[in-house]
Amino acid sequence: MMPAWLASGLAYASGLSLTAGGITLLYITTRTFNFAHASMATWGFYVVYTGTVLYGGTPYRWLPLSFLLGALLGVICYLVLNRHLLARKANTITLMMSTLGYDLVLLAFIQMYCDYLTYSLKLFPRRVTMSVYDIELFGTSGASIILPLTAVAVLSLLHLFITRTKFGTAMRATIENSLLAGASGINSDWVYLASWVIGGGMAALGGAFMAMAMTGTPVLGMTTIPFMFAGAILGGLHSLYGGILGGFVVGLAEYAGVYFLAAEVGSWVLGYRMAIPLLIMAVTLMVFPQGLAGAWATMVGKVTGLRKRGVEA
Amino acid sequence: MGHDGGQGHWIEKERCGGMNGADKSVSRTQDVWMKNEVVIGLVMVAVLTVIMLTLGLPLVLTILIDAAVFTIVTLSLNLEVGHTGISQFGRVLAVIAGAFVVGAVPGRVLAFLNGLPYGVSYADDAVNYKVVPAISDLLASSLPLSVGFLLFSFVLAAVAGAVVGWLTSRPAIRLKEAYLGISLLAFGDFFMWVGHNWEPLVGGTTAVFVPDPFRVVWGSRFQVIVIVAVIMAFLVYLYLEKLTRSPFGRTLHMVRDCDVAAAVCGKDIVSIRTQSLMIGSALAAVGGALYVIYAGTCTAIGFTRLTWTFWPWAYMMLGGIGSNRGVVLGVLMLTVARTLIITYRSTLFGFLLAWGIDPMWLEYTLMGLVIMLVVLFMPHGLVPAKVESILPAGRVRKAAQEQGFGATVG
Repeated sequence: MMPAWLASGLAYASGLSLTAGGITLLYITTRTFNFAHASMATWGFYVVYTGTVLYGGTPYRWLPLSFLLGALLGVICYLVLNRHLLARKANTITLMMSTLGYDLVLLAFIQMYCDYLTYSLKLFPRRVTMSVYDIELFGTSGASIILPLTAVAVLSLLHLFITRTKFGTAMRATIENSLLAGASGINSDWVYLASWVIGGGMAALGGAFMAMAMTGTPVLGMTTIPFMFAGAILGGLHSLYGGILGGFVVGLAEYAGVYFLAAEVGSWVLGYRMAIPLLIMAVTLMVFPQGLAGAWATMVGKVTGLRKRGVEA
Repeated sequence: MGHDGGQGHWIEKERCGGMNGADKSVSRTQDVWMKNEVVIGLVMVAVLTVIMLTLGLPLVLTILIDAAVFTIVTLSLNLEVGHTGISQFGRVLAVIAGAFVVGAVPGRVLAFLNGLPYGVSYADDAVNYKVVPAISDLLASSLPLSVGFLLFSFVLAAVAGAVVGWLTSRPAIRLKEAYLGISLLAFGDFFMWVGHNWEPLVGGTTAVFVPDPFRVVWGSRFQVIVIVAVIMAFLVYLYLEKLTRSPFGRTLHMVRDCDVAAAVCGKDIVSIRTQSLMIGSALAAVGGALYVIYAGTCTAIGFTRLTWTFWPWAYMMLGGIGSNRGVVLGVLMLTVARTLIITYRSTLFGFLLAWGIDPMWLEYTLMGLVIMLVVLFMPHGLVPAKVESILPAGRVRKAAQEQGFGATVG
């Protein structure tokens, strides 16, 4: 009923939209381009994998645990690294490099964990096809329905959290102007911590999602992180919703593009599939560096005659 | 160390003139570190001697060749990041350019001249494993031919690297900091996949062999390669030391510290960044060429951003961003550490093997920890970059006293 490319494309795009949203959230709150998103996503996948393989059942019931582990990894990153560097007003590149170091440590632990699973439990964790554990819904794979719905649910919760709660308002205030927010008594420390909790959790969840559509490997996050960044950049990096949308567009465009191109010019294009997200990113940066959100704001501004808000590129 | 605000004087484009409090603290600690730099160097020599005496010369030679290749690559990275302030997260791009060109072109040229298959079929694994040994035999018969082949390969790699550098300078003019870094990182990945998928280039998944110009000295091939590599690394170091101290180097530093001021002084920032990227990429490409000639094969999938972008970043951060001498020491230290982890994987880390865990992954942990600890506790690295004064300090002081600023300068 649903074409195969669309089914796996939807699952993958949902995952990418969560990770790209997490990257954007961390960037607008802490100015940090989080490289550790890669290994956080992979850890999210391995939580779901371990749970499903050892305890059976659908992979979906392990998603909350995966979110929690991602959140924990985010908290560690904030408390050990990010907090001190932010206090020191370190520049963007230093913040970025610090998360790279953290990512390498997490990657090492993933590899060790895989070794352990292989040796002690006689599993094959280095090439996992999660879709074999999937259930069937309405004649199509469960992932293509459950995952987009879960993503929408998570993002709606996030939306309600940052618009309807007091803490969410404080978060938005800090994002808009951290100095003024601090002056009015908002503790930015808690805001940063909360964004690492949410960002890390979204990364792990996104990794678990993506593994339902592609082969799960210890370098799952490592290979997809350029696409996560591409999604965040397409979104414009200054709007959470832009990032979420950007990730979704990049993910779906990759699957759709490869499917239609392979039909047109031959299956050799499959090897160059990563060109599609990169092309989207390059075009975004060259044509409208403020991303989807910036382009939208400009368009709305032009239509309504409102003064264009100066968004820093 | 200057912990507040002294966090890397590079890439601070928004805040021109951020060179005050932080850099004073650097110059205060500099006298101490100047001595430590010598101490670290001596310790490294001692460690290498101990390794040679206990584990044998071959291991030392392996360390030296690895260190030489990565010294070239990391120094080139340092030119762009440390001296020019470009956030180069795509170092692998230029390394790939050098490696692929040497994997694809010089062998084909010789094959063409000698009537061997040189077209698309050259990179076909069924043909390649016969053609390349034939070319290597040819090279082994003549010293001038071998030397010519080697020089031709390096020149070719440098040209390819410079072209890649020029291409990457196009976005580098428009994009800033992290945006640029991520774009370069993504394109580095892309070129690795191109090499992996497009067989006529370097054999795709099956890789190509690279003709061996060192077969002329068959008995002592390894030793000669190591000597050549170390000499090349040393020449690159000398060249970059000279370059970064020259008026051009001063201009680079000016663009790094405050590009607005550089523009005001009439410097063409675009052209300066482009030149820096072209020089850096050409050098990195030579490093990549040296690596494939030493390895004897060119495997596209081996050129990952982890090994050729992130490792050099870790080396550079440990050594000190912007300090050529520090970079050399950083590369040497971490190469020794990585080699020792691999050598002692089963004896020292046997407790991990009991759970089936390969101690090889400790290498990743080490690199990650080094990056994290350096960022947190030693943002200027082991050998912090010197703050250069335009005139000798004595003359500055004298001039200041004459002008009546005696109390504030010094």
